[in-house]
Amino acid sequence: MEERIVKFIAALRAAGVRISLAESTDAFRAVDSLGVKDRELFRVSLLSTLVKDASGRPIFEELFPIFFGSSEMPPMLNITEDLTLEEAEMIAQGLRKVNETLRKLVEKLMNGDPLTPDELERLARMVGLNQADDLRYREWMTQRMKKALHFKEVQEALQELANTLAELGMDRERIEQMQKLLQANQSALEDQLRQFAGQRIAENMGERPPEEGLDNLFNRPFNSLSDRDMERLRKEVQRLAAALKTRIALRQKRAKNGQLDAKATIRANIKHGSVPIELRHREHTQKPKLVVICDVSTSMRFCSELMLSLLYALQDQISKTSSFAFIDHLEYISPDFERKSSGEAVAQVLDRIPTGYYNTDLGNSLNDFSKNYLDKIDSRTTLLLVGDGRNNYNNPRLDLFRTIARRSRRAIWLTPEPAIMWGSGDSDMLKYAPDCDTILQASNLAELTTAVDKLLLG
Amino acid sequence: MTPTQRFNSTRELKTALGQQQYIASDEIATIMYLSQELGKPLLTEGPAGVGKTELAKAIAGATKRELIRLQCYEGLDETKALYEWEYAKQLLYTQLLRDKLQETLSAAENLSAAADRLAQEEDVFFSMRFLLQRPLLKAILSEHPTVLLIDEIDRADAEFEAFLLEVLSDFQVSVPELGTLAAVHRPLVILTSNNTRELSEALKRRCLYLFIDYPSLEQEMAVVRLKVPELSPKMARQAVELVQSLRSMDLRKSPSISETLDWAKALVALNSKVLDSVTLETTLSVLLKHESDLQRARRWLQRPASGPSLSEGADPHSPRWRN
Repeated sequence: MEERIVKFIAALRAAGVRISLAESTDAFRAVDSLGVKDRELFRVSLLSTLVKDASGRPIFEELFPIFFGSSEMPPMLNITEDLTLEEAEMIAQGLRKVNETLRKLVEKLMNGDPLTPDELERLARMVGLNQADDLRYREWMTQRMKKALHFKEVQEALQELANTLAELGMDRERIEQMQKLLQANQSALEDQLRQFAGQRIAENMGERPPEEGLDNLFNRPFNSLSDRDMERLRKEVQRLAAALKTRIALRQKRAKNGQLDAKATIRANIKHGSVPIELRHREHTQKPKLVVICDVSTSMRFCSELMLSLLYALQDQISKTSSFAFIDHLEYISPDFERKSSGEAVAQVLDRIPTGYYNTDLGNSLNDFSKNYLDKIDSRTTLLLVGDGRNNYNNPRLDLFRTIARRSRRAIWLTPEPAIMWGSGDSDMLKYAPDCDTILQASNLAELTTAVDKLLLG
Repeated sequence: MTPTQRFNSTRELKTALGQQQYIASDEIATIMYLSQELGKPLLTEGPAGVGKTELAKAIAGATKRELIRLQCYEGLDETKALYEWEYAKQLLYTQLLRDKLQETLSAAENLSAAADRLAQEEDVFFSMRFLLQRPLLKAILSEHPTVLLIDEIDRADAEFEAFLLEVLSDFQVSVPELGTLAAVHRPLVILTSNNTRELSEALKRRCLYLFIDYPSLEQEMAVVRLKVPELSPKMARQAVELVQSLRSMDLRKSPSISETLDWAKALVALNSKVLDSVTLETTLSVLLKHESDLQRARRWLQRPASGPSLSEGADPHSPRWRN
């Protein structure tokens, strides 16, 4: 049993649930105290100790029955038991007609024998089950095993058998009853196969070697990342944002300049006989406010998803963040980020703003912004523009950008393009550059990390 | 004081909670029992108003332990959660005891002897007498076993969360002047979170996790029947059915169980016999707290009963809950 639980935990980990060693120890302690007899208690004790996230729950619910499924499947019934001598004779006669290769399985179904581990193992090798490590292949593998067992032909053979028996003069009702039982046995066998496939795949998942290190991913350019890498990066970005938040909080804590704190002053001056020599001030935390305008046009698509994930993470960390996205006009996307998981929110935003054909227009978007949202910017706000400044030769509206940039505390431009590309083709980067306080270039996650750190510095 | 109770099985715990007028599902009872057995804090998450705080109160009642509650908010720090020296009181005492101090010190021959003497008396001023106990320390030092409720932990800052780690794993606190204070009895700890932000892995690792969602129709019926027995069963069913269908709409704030109960009480107070449009019109604001939600619900209710076409306006794919 213990081994089974360990394998289960490994499979959960492989499916993306984060489980620490301490948590798996807890799981064992919980199982110790509640026992494994009651399946529901057992399930809850594993669930509460291993899964600490509502998002991990569906994965748990999917894997649990595979590992600890009611392994006593619907029992297969032995049909041959309650046959009269006469009937047995007839069946034996009928069976003789059945093809040699199929006879074994038909007999199995008759006798109600499940497949032996050996047979299962052979099947697994035959269909390549040992290489599968994704639960999506489960049904497919089951189908393949059924095919390898000639399920369809067996079905036909059984029909034929029934016909032969009828010819031999067996009672019609009796034949129907037998057919029903055979049907039940067959579906039980199918369940056994499905169960086996699920278990094997889940075990394979647990044994899959751990993924390559993150360092590699950090330094790979955004446009050469696969979906899977993206998923991992998104997680990494979240972690990063949390770390950055703590760093800012510390910085703010140490920078004390603000109102006089009477209580703290009294306390500090006890040593001077309550003569206020040292003055203490209340922490004056200037919580950062952030306005982000993100380009999600075709030229930026390859990295905009990641940038949006970063926005999402920032929004979670800095409470006063307003996010906008644009291609030809501006969209306020902060509401999309509320109460949604990062992946969903990003997908929703990208869905809402479909790409057109060469229609990026920052000028128009800036116009939208200054008409409707200029009040979001004040002397405490940091303006962050994420984009490559490629404007399709539209009017860049430098005047508007200047006004907005001057109104804000700092204007920062984050671009994925290296400086050497600025000004080439339709890039207006060089025109915007003088009005920005800082221009940060980030084309992989390592650079993005440094960029964000710089961003939150002030 | 009556001895505190310890449960021997999940069933026993469930009945005990039931006596406290808390209807626990099997899952809740099992996890609660595990928390007692393993001595681990319990982290409960779920939408607002599904009875997370109520669970702590019920378990305190069921185990006959004192409930100590720490409400978290942004900016909560150690001095407000753990302990603080009572400076004013210390100052007052030094002023009042000045003569006595003079007396003690005057007998000393030289400065260093006087300092030694003073050092001997130091303990007087840094003793439990001047230590202002805040909820966490109170729970740890309590003579009797307690239930410690740390409410809405997600509202506190990340730093506070980190600080909690020591308390939750070892149940001890170090006060520099007094040394380490260890728990007399391990308190039963329940943390609640509305999931406004992601909690740290480290905290989650130390806790058992319980997710409480909105109840099913039957569960909610049972709660309403238990807490508002004056309401006729038929009315109660109608009311709960309405609330359940409101929850499936895309509202800014879905009605919680506590709001269902408020509404049920309101219906009793108004002595309503049927759930007609006039009653609904006047009492719907008990359930829905946003003007836009109210308007939406009214529009839906006023439509002729052409089958349950709730899905209009409600997006079944948008999850109400994020994680």
